Amino acid sequence: MSSIYNFKRIQPVPGATDFLDIVLSRTQRKTPTVVHPGYNIGRIRQFYMRKVKYTQETFDEKLSQILNDFPQLDNVHPFYADLMNVLYDKDHYKLALGQINTAKHLIDSVAKDYTRLLKFGDSLYRCKQLKRAGMGRMATIMRRQKDSLGYLEQVRQHLSRLPSIDPNTRTLIVCGYPNVGKSSFMNKVTRADVDVQPYAFTTKSLFVGHMDYNYLRWQVIDTPGILDHPLEERNTIEMQSITALAHLRACIMFFIDLSEQCGYSIKEQVSLFNSIKPLFTNKPTLLVITKTDACKLEDISPEDRKLVEDVCKDGSVELSQLSTYLDEGVIETRNLACEKLLQQRVAMKLKGQKVHDVLNRVHLSVPAPRDSQDRKPFIPEQIAKRRKYNPDDPDRPRLERDIEMENGGAGVYNVDLKKKYLLKSDEWKYDVIPEIMNGKNVADFVDPDIEEKLAELELEEERLEAEGVYDSPEEELDEEEEKIKSMAREIRRQKQIIAQESRLKKGLNRPVIVGSVKASRQTKDDFASHLEKLGVSSDVADTRAKSITRKRTHSSTRDPAEGMARGTSVAARAVSVVRDRSTMGLSSDKQAKLAAKKKSMSQRKGNLMARAGEADRSIGTKMPKHLFSGKRKMGSTDRR
Amino acid sequence: MPQNEYIEESIKRHGRRMDHDERKRKREAREVHKQAAFAQKVHGLKAKMYNKKRRNEKIQMKKTIKMHDEKDAKQKTTDAVPDGAVPAYLLDREGEQKAKVLSNMIKQKRKEKAGKWSVPLPKVRGIAEDEMFKVVKTGKAKTKSWKRLVTKATFVGEGFTRKPPKYERFIRPMALRYKKANVTHPELKATFQLPIISVKKNPQSPAYTQLGVLTKGTIIEVNVSELGLVTTSGKVVWGKYAQITNNPENDGCINAVLLV
Ligand SMILES: Nc1nc2c(ncn2[C@@H]2O[C@H](COP(=O)(O)OP(=O)(O)O)[C@@H](O)[C@H]2O)c(=O)[nH]1
Ligand SMILES: [Mg+2]
Repeated sequence: MSSIYNFKRIQPVPGATDFLDIVLSRTQRKTPTVVHPGYNIGRIRQFYMRKVKYTQETFDEKLSQILNDFPQLDNVHPFYADLMNVLYDKDHYKLALGQINTAKHLIDSVAKDYTRLLKFGDSLYRCKQLKRAGMGRMATIMRRQKDSLGYLEQVRQHLSRLPSIDPNTRTLIVCGYPNVGKSSFMNKVTRADVDVQPYAFTTKSLFVGHMDYNYLRWQVIDTPGILDHPLEERNTIEMQSITALAHLRACIMFFIDLSEQCGYSIKEQVSLFNSIKPLFTNKPTLLVITKTDACKLEDISPEDRKLVEDVCKDGSVELSQLSTYLDEGVIETRNLACEKLLQQRVAMKLKGQKVHDVLNRVHLSVPAPRDSQDRKPFIPEQIAKRRKYNPDDPDRPRLERDIEMENGGAGVYNVDLKKKYLLKSDEWKYDVIPEIMNGKNVADFVDPDIEEKLAELELEEERLEAEGVYDSPEEELDEEEEKIKSMAREIRRQKQIIAQESRLKKGLNRPVIVGSVKASRQTKDDFASHLEKLGVSSDVADTRAKSITRKRTHSSTRDPAEGMARGTSVAARAVSVVRDRSTMGLSSDKQAKLAAKKKSMSQRKGNLMARAGEADRSIGTKMPKHLFSGKRKMGSTDRR
Repeated sequence: MPQNEYIEESIKRHGRRMDHDERKRKREAREVHKQAAFAQKVHGLKAKMYNKKRRNEKIQMKKTIKMHDEKDAKQKTTDAVPDGAVPAYLLDREGEQKAKVLSNMIKQKRKEKAGKWSVPLPKVRGIAEDEMFKVVKTGKAKTKSWKRLVTKATFVGEGFTRKPPKYERFIRPMALRYKKANVTHPELKATFQLPIISVKKNPQSPAYTQLGVLTKGTIIEVNVSELGLVTTSGKVVWGKYAQITNNPENDGCINAVLLV
């Protein structure tokens, strides 16, 4: 699992004024903007409370995002924590984030206070003033964060440009005095394009490059040069190297320049090695002598040589020489370093607990020999006999490459790709095939067995036709269906007409006849025909029409026969007619019967079990508490 | 993968594009025209804000120009009176100036003295009863209306306990109670947040004073012990009066000036 820290994802931190603009304009955009003094006061309060609340939520959201985005120094790898401490000053960083956090809480409490105050707002003016004051206080809090926000933005920009170093992978760290050729080596072994200049502190920060060795990914870290002085006096540039050396479990390559072209004596360089040696404990270390084209180990004075060799005496440090100018020993040094690190990592893993988990699962079985016969792998005779290809052999098989070489080499000779085409006639091999023909792409029509397929298709077609699959059977609608269909058609038509009429009615710019007037204008025949359409007998219409057109005081002139027609006696008519509600809304006898049947079915179960139905008298609470408790003094029992 | 100061690195290695300076110069020259176009186009609140910003910028610009100008402007000689013999009619000029200063001083002193007796806000707007109180309907059928809810900011004393809610005539909501005021010292020109001790007088009515209602113009007593003021006899002043200068119910805070 790789543990690459990606600091590039941190969102930009706007400055204080921009921050305010963003938040306030968002409130303006996302909350309602129209309110009138005439509104219900609750609505006005709610309108302004929403504004205050929304502003606070936006602030909260933005500030929490900042707090979430920025890495917490306690949670990141100690290498990054230390690097950030060196670059941005831990205290300053924590303070800035802490201030943002406080601002967030302050804004929350301001919003809380003002929403509370708004609950007592009694006029639009007062509510508006409170909203204004509340948002103003939030803005003031935010404006005080100007410096913190500015600092965090700078940190963000720098963080996003930090090289993405994986602290746990295989790593080589190149270190040493300035100008000894560290960056030159880095450029040789990786593709990181580090600046190389003949003056000190060209490299001012850590650079990372990647390479492959032994089918594995390796990262190489180029560090700025280190001078030999106490830790307290080191500046930010040097401290970056120190953090890398201190926290990464890597192979350390300490570069040393014997030619003293770098401007530091051999003695100084060796003493630097000794003073930072505590950082190399338990890490494979290499002492790399650079610029061997200028000066080799053999060329220097015996005292200096002794100094250098003393370093490697105890065996933990290995010596290596290279020259980037001559490309001498660069790869060898790299391989040596990689090997040392690999060995150490494997040893570490073997020592750890985890290795047992894997080893337990690995099992290598070798079958026990059942007799003394030797069972070799089987190789077919033909293969065994085949002669090995040898470029120096005069009668070796001729390759296309040989032909190419004979004819003038690559770029002059074109390899003949058509030579081995498998076609019916060899003459066709070199025919030119048009890509487009008659405006059509030839490739679309190429199909080796198109003829066969076509013939097959035609045959099938004939067969199907003969079998009579295609002549569709005459669909015979029975009478019932025919009726339903025609009815449906009619209903649809009616619906359309009604819709059109209502549409016409809607957009009118003229006086409209009121429904009741319209009804009174309708004649009896209209009504009858309408009922006819609905499937009700028209004699109902007769009686109904009479009742509509009847004047108020007609009772004296009413035709007694009419009363008889309703099937009630005159005496009974003196009381109002009770219509049977159970048959109301049912158009036919059939429907009425169905309804009755359904009703009895639904009641059957309850009746069988003698359950209380909805028609039974019921008393919900026998003795409502509030009507029966307490002393009775005055008033009635049902109201106290 | 670019790392560290890769933009600067690239510029160092490959330089900028050929017409970089030219383009930059042109963009800068165009800037004023762009601003002018924007200023013409913008309207409403944005215009107001933009104009304010521009105005401040212009003032700042003028100031800096003036600062640079002053270097070569000639200073007037302070000593207007020529050395040597002075004609008699000019001799008493200096004395005259002094007299003027003196009389001014007396006037100033009188003013200051007078100021001591008056308050910063001599007049206040009257507040009607129905603005001050909201009627709270009580009783089971909500028919009784003898309870009042104070809708203004209030101060209740330290050890205040409510009457039994059933009999409480004036309700002072928790949300509208204040304990602290932002008090400005008019001479020090500094503002402090001080605890309120009591309400001395509400100009609206003595009843409001009783209730501790804080409205604009109310005189309150604040705890100034943290200011470290001393009386002429050397005692530390503890409480001092201050007058409220804002509408607390509208602002959600109390601003006051110290009466000195
Ligand atoms: N003679 C010689 N000079 C070298 C060699 N490698 C690098 N240099 C020079 O040493 C100087 C510093 O190299 P640099 O890689 O920037 O060193 P760094 O400061 O340690 O990164 C440059 O001027 C290089 O040209 C080398 O193998 N032989
Ligand atoms: Mg370098």
